Amino acid sequence: MATQSVTAPQTFDWAHVPKRPGFARRMGRLARQHPAGVFGLVILLLFVFLGLFGKQIAPYPADELSVGLPLQGPSSAHPFGLNQNGQDVFSRVISGAHVSFVICFWAVFLGAGMGSFLGILGGYFGRWLDYLIQRSGEAFAAFPSLVLFLMLRTAFGPTLKTIIVAIAIGALFGGNRVLRGQTIIERNQVYVESARAVGCSEWRIFIRHVVPNVLPLVVVIMSGTAGAAILAESALAFLGLGPADVSWGRDMSGNNLSIARTGYWHVVVFPGIAISLVVLGANLLGDSLRDIWDPRLRK
Amino acid sequence: MRQYALRRLAYMPLIVVVVSLITFFTLRLPFATDPVTLYVNQNTTQEQEDAIRADLGLDKPVLEQFVVWVGDLVRGDLGHTFRSNQPVWPEIQRRWPVNLEILVFSVFFSTVLGVTFGVITAVKQNSAADYGFRVFAVFGQSIPEFFLLILLIVLPSLWWNYSPPVGGHVSIFEDPVKNLRLYLPPTLLLGVGGAAALMRLTRSTLLEVFRQDYIRTARAKGLSGNKVILQHGLRNALIPIVTLTGAHVTALFFGSLILEQIFSINGLGQFFLVSAMTADFPVVQFLVFYTAVVVVTMNLLIDLSYAVIDPRVKYA
Repeated sequence: MATQSVTAPQTFDWAHVPKRPGFARRMGRLARQHPAGVFGLVILLLFVFLGLFGKQIAPYPADELSVGLPLQGPSSAHPFGLNQNGQDVFSRVISGAHVSFVICFWAVFLGAGMGSFLGILGGYFGRWLDYLIQRSGEAFAAFPSLVLFLMLRTAFGPTLKTIIVAIAIGALFGGNRVLRGQTIIERNQVYVESARAVGCSEWRIFIRHVVPNVLPLVVVIMSGTAGAAILAESALAFLGLGPADVSWGRDMSGNNLSIARTGYWHVVVFPGIAISLVVLGANLLGDSLRDIWDPRLRK
Repeated sequence: MRQYALRRLAYMPLIVVVVSLITFFTLRLPFATDPVTLYVNQNTTQEQEDAIRADLGLDKPVLEQFVVWVGDLVRGDLGHTFRSNQPVWPEIQRRWPVNLEILVFSVFFSTVLGVTFGVITAVKQNSAADYGFRVFAVFGQSIPEFFLLILLIVLPSLWWNYSPPVGGHVSIFEDPVKNLRLYLPPTLLLGVGGAAALMRLTRSTLLEVFRQDYIRTARAKGLSGNKVILQHGLRNALIPIVTLTGAHVTALFFGSLILEQIFSINGLGQFFLVSAMTADFPVVQFLVFYTAVVVVTMNLLIDLSYAVIDPRVKYA
């Protein structure tokens, strides 16, 4: 009996519970799981930076004529070459980010942000509010975005505001349906019922319980809107309907396009790559965010 | 089902009327562009200006203008353009075959390519083909359509000294070869964006369907692989696919204008664009009305098709 080994009761060492990894650790892990999303984020951050400061850091003013030999191909002094007016294409691409950024910003926050809020509001409170929002969404869905824009342009002229309003309205009713659906699902969850049972007011349930649970989806919608808005803006600029002289879409149209047909590809190809890259970034980031947050995909 | 269809049919004109109303009154808001200003200069007297205004029918109260416009529309009179005083209808009649052809070809390409690639990637999940097509889809969704069309013109001329024909629309019934040489390459590229979106949707929906019990049952009872994939799998994934294809038809109004612009084809998109820039109200009003009718009709057809695709869908 003396040799009986006493197995001490396994006490759980509460002091050494593995702590939740810090914020930086968690972000690092997430980044490793979604390299494409990180790539997208980097491109978008670069886009935002160029949108804000592009004009200041461009090597030449975007509209300065004859900084070199017109139509010269890419060289070390002019990495993207020069267009037929002798303007530096590289500087124009960097400065052109500004218009795209401004329109994208308003589309995302005014359009997607407000649309999401309306969708959540309608989905949660239902009744006439929901009915009103959904029916006006259907009426606007009967306007393809370009038709809506051309109609607004006929009325209000080619101002930046017209474009922002047209693109933001498209985003408004795009985001709101998705969030309405998700909110209706959340509304019927047990936690909402419990909150009601403890006596929370409807507004408190809405703000403190429902909204935080659908918020991730709003961010997903926003990144999708960013890509769509840049595509829409560049297409309008390409058609000559844009508000700015220095814009990626504008630089690919008109005389530049005619000159590109005769072999000077660099005039139109670099702005096109810039648009594609930024939209690609927004799409990749959106996909990754959806993978991370979309409750329907989380198994 | 019949009751639902009837209710939707009654609801359709309502949306079209609301859209037309919004358009009509937005164009005539006090702070909106006044088309008369486009036809006057500093030498025009007030009387001349008033005469122009009366000529365009803009001197009457807005409500009266609306009643006149609706009355004419119902009787099939679309009015005359402000710009050249031509009747609107022949101008539209001349152009719409162009848009129909672009629409049919692009939607055909995007649907066929999108669904085919979607099925392939879903069946061969995580294979090299799957990754390849998915990368293609991400890029296809990110590159603007007009950039693809520009590359179609610029790159071949750079590499092979050949560039696809531009302009010179001929009817497909007169000279099919010339017509197809003009329309096929750009409409194929115009379909790429749609195909990419459709491929991703088909893939994810199919993967979800493949997890269902009835697919396992179908396999267990000995159906061939293709039958399981197409009849049991794809058929059950069809509803979102049809919905997205419908959205592509609406979106093609934009794509069509871009194609018209790059390939110098005079279609409805160009007409709309020029009319919008010159505040040509009768044209803008009618084209918005026309688009609303097309879009609303198509949405109805899509909703009704759900019941055909999936017998479980019942409209009370």
